[in-house]
Amino acid sequence: MGNVGQILLQLLRFALYAGVHVLLISRLSLFNVGWCLFYLGFLLFLPIATPIVLLLVISFVTGFTMDLFYDTGGVHAAAAVLLGYLRPWVLKLLTPRDGYDAQDSVNIHQMGWQWFLVYLVLLVGIHHFAFFFLELGSFSAIGLTLLKVLASTLFTGITMLIVQLLFFPAKRRR
Amino acid sequence: MRNLLAFLFRYRGILVFALLEIVSLIMLIRNSAYQRAAFFNSSNAYVGRVLEFRTQVYDYFRLVDVNKALVVENAKLRQQLYRSDLASRLHDSLRVPGDTTGSRLRPDTLILGMQAVLTRSSDYPLIPARVINQTLRRVDNYLTLNAGSNQGVQPGMGVLTATGVVGRVRQVSAHYATVTSVLHSKTNLSAKLQRDNTFGTIKWLGEDPTHALLDYIPRQNKLLRGDTVVTSGYNAVFPEGVMVGTVDSFTQEPDKNFWTVRVKLAVDFSKLSYVYVVGPQPRAAERDTLETRSGLRTPAVGEEGVQP
Repeated sequence: MGNVGQILLQLLRFALYAGVHVLLISRLSLFNVGWCLFYLGFLLFLPIATPIVLLLVISFVTGFTMDLFYDTGGVHAAAAVLLGYLRPWVLKLLTPRDGYDAQDSVNIHQMGWQWFLVYLVLLVGIHHFAFFFLELGSFSAIGLTLLKVLASTLFTGITMLIVQLLFFPAKRRR
Repeated sequence: MRNLLAFLFRYRGILVFALLEIVSLIMLIRNSAYQRAAFFNSSNAYVGRVLEFRTQVYDYFRLVDVNKALVVENAKLRQQLYRSDLASRLHDSLRVPGDTTGSRLRPDTLILGMQAVLTRSSDYPLIPARVINQTLRRVDNYLTLNAGSNQGVQPGMGVLTATGVVGRVRQVSAHYATVTSVLHSKTNLSAKLQRDNTFGTIKWLGEDPTHALLDYIPRQNKLLRGDTVVTSGYNAVFPEGVMVGTVDSFTQEPDKNFWTVRVKLAVDFSKLSYVYVVGPQPRAAERDTLETRSGLRTPAVGEEGVQP
């Protein structure tokens, strides 16, 4: 696939994740303490070899778009940029013994359950932690906020898992 | 020079990261100020259009609830129109200046939050609007309405619904308006107890969207559970006597001179759909200028009412 095709594909993915999030999922809430930040799927499932600067810019733009819809100024952007920065670290931490193949992508079937769950829980957890505490702006309601972080991490994590199992190819493209 | 470039390239990740984080945090902090950059919020035309479309999507799931709420409101309005006891029909057929026929049948007032509000005051008509976006569980909550400056909405106007006070218009574009909800950490709404006219200030602590705090009620005052809390006349935004909520519980803290009163809000923010925008009270601007000039209040925009 050429570069242009790759860019178009990613734009389409962005539109899909952001659209589904804004139009359908953003109002869902789990007992009023958990939310599903579905758009994170776009950032989490970007190609593994995405250059760091590009990744950061993409994260920022995604977060900023969400801020426009939530009227939150920069909370989503700040948390998303943090996610973008930490993603290569987590990837490095989880490198398989013989390194990543050129064909490898963030895919539960290719990388395995364990790899994928650690990747998901680490990144989503850090993102939600940063997100909810930035939104609160202080450490005043710590218990409630930690509960929100936990519930939302579960909600987002499980949704991402479902997306993976439903829409990602089980076989490597040859 | 080459070393500098090499250095920048080597640390490009952390540098870009720091830059973008700083930009985000600046946006976040500037957003906390009451007024903010006119463009980047949901009253922006493009975002507004998407949100309106989203409301259409959500409406589909909420039809039952919306219908129920409308039926209830209709019943209430009908009750106002055809009350059996004609003697208590206040304001229903106030004559508007210039109308000499006296044959006007439509009511000139609408009862919102237990208070009659003029529907067709010539300067500031009551503007009906639809809530197309709303946050509920944040620390600072906002609403977006589908009425804007073309319909006559201006920043600073009050927003009511049939059951009580909703918030205050914050920013306006041609077709949309954003509203600071009562559920906002900087809410400062002047209110009073209807039973004995004790003044206090409504604040929101940021946790429970069904309750707020009524502050500055002196300790020596007697309180009753179920007391009605209404807006006070100190307030230039809302008419006097509009329902805010009822007293739910009250406690005395040893180190404070005031009661800590939990108020159950009359408006169910989780079911808002149609609201009314009310104009400022007559001569509010003149009063504002005078009070600012004599140092009664700081000229900071956005604080509602004066603390007693």
